[in-house]
Amino acid sequence: MTIRNVCRATLVALGSTWLLSAAPVGAHHAFSTEFDAKQPITLRGTITRVEWINPHAWIHLDVPGDNGAVEKWMIEAGSPNTLVRRGMTRDSIPPGIEVVVFGYRHRNGSNAANGRDVTLPDGKQLFITSPGTGAPASE
Amino acid sequence: MTRSTLVLLTLGALLAVNPHAQSSSTTDIPRLANGKPNLSGVWQAFTTANWNVLTHGASAGPPKYGALLATPPGYGIVDGDAIPYLPAAADQQRRNYESRFEDDPEVKCYMPGVPRANYMPYPLQIFHSDADLLVAYQFAGAARIVNLGAPQPSAIDSWMGISNARWDGDTLVVEVAGFNGLAWLDRAGNHASAALKVVERYTLAGADAIDYSATLEDPQTFSRPWTMRFRLLRNPDAKAHLMEFKCVPFTEELLYGDLYKQPRE
Amino acid sequence: MKRHQILFLALPAVLLGAAASAQALRTPWGDPDLQGKWSNATLTPLQRPAELKDKEFFTEEEAKAYVRQRIAATSGDANIEQDRSAGNVGSYNDAWMDRGNDIVPTRRTSLIVEPANGRVPPFTAAAQSEHERNLAHAAAHPADTPDDRYLTERCIVFGGGPAPMLPEPYNNNYYIVQTPDEVAIMAELNHEVRIIPIDGRPHLPAGVRQWTGDSRGRWEGDTLVVETTNQIPHRHFYGVQMLDSVMSDEFRVVERFTRTGPEQIRYRATVHDPVFTAPWTVEIFMHPQAGDLVEFACHEGNYGLRGILSATREEERRAEGGR
Repeated sequence: MTIRNVCRATLVALGSTWLLSAAPVGAHHAFSTEFDAKQPITLRGTITRVEWINPHAWIHLDVPGDNGAVEKWMIEAGSPNTLVRRGMTRDSIPPGIEVVVFGYRHRNGSNAANGRDVTLPDGKQLFITSPGTGAPASE
Repeated sequence: MTRSTLVLLTLGALLAVNPHAQSSSTTDIPRLANGKPNLSGVWQAFTTANWNVLTHGASAGPPKYGALLATPPGYGIVDGDAIPYLPAAADQQRRNYESRFEDDPEVKCYMPGVPRANYMPYPLQIFHSDADLLVAYQFAGAARIVNLGAPQPSAIDSWMGISNARWDGDTLVVEVAGFNGLAWLDRAGNHASAALKVVERYTLAGADAIDYSATLEDPQTFSRPWTMRFRLLRNPDAKAHLMEFKCVPFTEELLYGDLYKQPRE
Repeated sequence: MKRHQILFLALPAVLLGAAASAQALRTPWGDPDLQGKWSNATLTPLQRPAELKDKEFFTEEEAKAYVRQRIAATSGDANIEQDRSAGNVGSYNDAWMDRGNDIVPTRRTSLIVEPANGRVPPFTAAAQSEHERNLAHAAAHPADTPDDRYLTERCIVFGGGPAPMLPEPYNNNYYIVQTPDEVAIMAELNHEVRIIPIDGRPHLPAGVRQWTGDSRGRWEGDTLVVETTNQIPHRHFYGVQMLDSVMSDEFRVVERFTRTGPEQIRYRATVHDPVFTAPWTVEIFMHPQAGDLVEFACHEGNYGLRGILSATREEERRAEGGR
């Protein structure tokens, strides 16, 4: 199963969170009240569905546990609207994709985390653009 | 005077006193500079459909609120006064009805979707320019842009759908799709899925009314398309415009009260 | 042909062109045309950074360097590795963001144009005390109820919805539509529609308060002047970009929208509130937005507020000695 590219050579990587101390124009979401910077976590699992919603998209993962049981996780991402303008659709990430997520655990102790990076098993980052303009990478 | 002259004079007189003789309604509706009917204004539906789109008698609300939250009676707006549910969808509607005071998205101040937004008992305001229409709804500050240009596809699901419109004579035909399947059609639990497509028709009936119809098609919910129709009336106060009805704060205790420092159940 | 002769020939064409484009920028009923899909994303910060001291404008060279520096500093993609090694959580990857590609065309070092130092004026002594009390309250009660949280986290109001329209890190998109009697501005964030009657009707009564206030406009020449009053005062009012801020009942904003070109609206907004020692004015230039506005159904998808409340309750339980 393949990921339909958002914009030709652009693969999109799921980023994470606010640097609360920098409080740039528009720190609308107080990261540190919800997620714990001191609890980084790496999860390897299969995407079961993506909620392309606001104010944050959420990626649902099945993560195999040590004893073979499957843990259900949800990973917070950004607002999908800019991605939509770059060509992303509800079908861009079909269920079944295996990914590695690096993020920070939810302070409420549930199986939730703020997703910083999402990579495919071969190491390719999802949702990354060329640094600089914030515009989609040209191919 | 010859007969033909008399006929001509009579016709001329008739035309002079009845400009409508030239075409059915070209002169009694407001128009934009480009000649299209002008739908701008503050409008409100004249119907009880938000309680139930089908004909319904009065019924009780939660006992604590007596008559305040009772359902008033009203005639329905649906052609044939029936919704052609598939069997599973009919069961779902019955379950929705049983839990309507908890599960109706209106309780939570969620956006009402289309067509329900148009028949809530609150005003809507249309801003009609050449290129698009902006429709603002007072309830929950819901809004939608009705696109008159090249059709725009729906990329991700939404509460209010994506609206693409074209003119059919003096009728604005709007195709709405891309719903998330979470909105209800009324407080009685009538519903549809994310496969819903709605075709709306807006026709000015004089300067102060819009004849509105909506045809709903959803093969996952209904056995065939079905149509509702009602009138939107213009607010007679020319100074009227929408006020702010941000109901989100009024739902916080309901939605989050269990997590308050002093929990409110 | 001599150069000055060419100039003479060119001049009428230029004037005709200017007249034609001014004409094109009018509605069918003759008002200046502000309509369309616009963005106010910009790399210029609200306040002049302290290190720039009295520098009001960049030179062209300084501007280019500053743009590069701002993009690099705020980029989520450029800093992944160093953030991780420094233990910083970093920021969203750039694909999610819309921080703008350039600074304001005037090359000013801040969006604030008055006062001259490019910074929000200080509070009065009384307002400063109240501000400090608000900060103390927020520290002691970070999330007893939603009322302790920012209005954005509650999905009540975002920047750009009410006046002044200040940019956010993403979704800085607006749709403006006009009729002879009203102007409507839809902000993408929180699907906010601000309705601005321009036919002289009075404001709502003073006792009626709204999160986006109450706006009334009028044309002064080619500029739409909008006055907004009747705002609900709140210590987390996002519109003034100051978290845990102070607002009074008399908060009032005067905005000026001018279509300065086919691809530009100059936006000025002055904030008047006696909590500040002086009014302050921002200037932002709106530019065409290529894409469509996408629905931002915030409250409907707000896992975050439940997350914030549940996380705080969980931490309190742990602090009390575990479950």
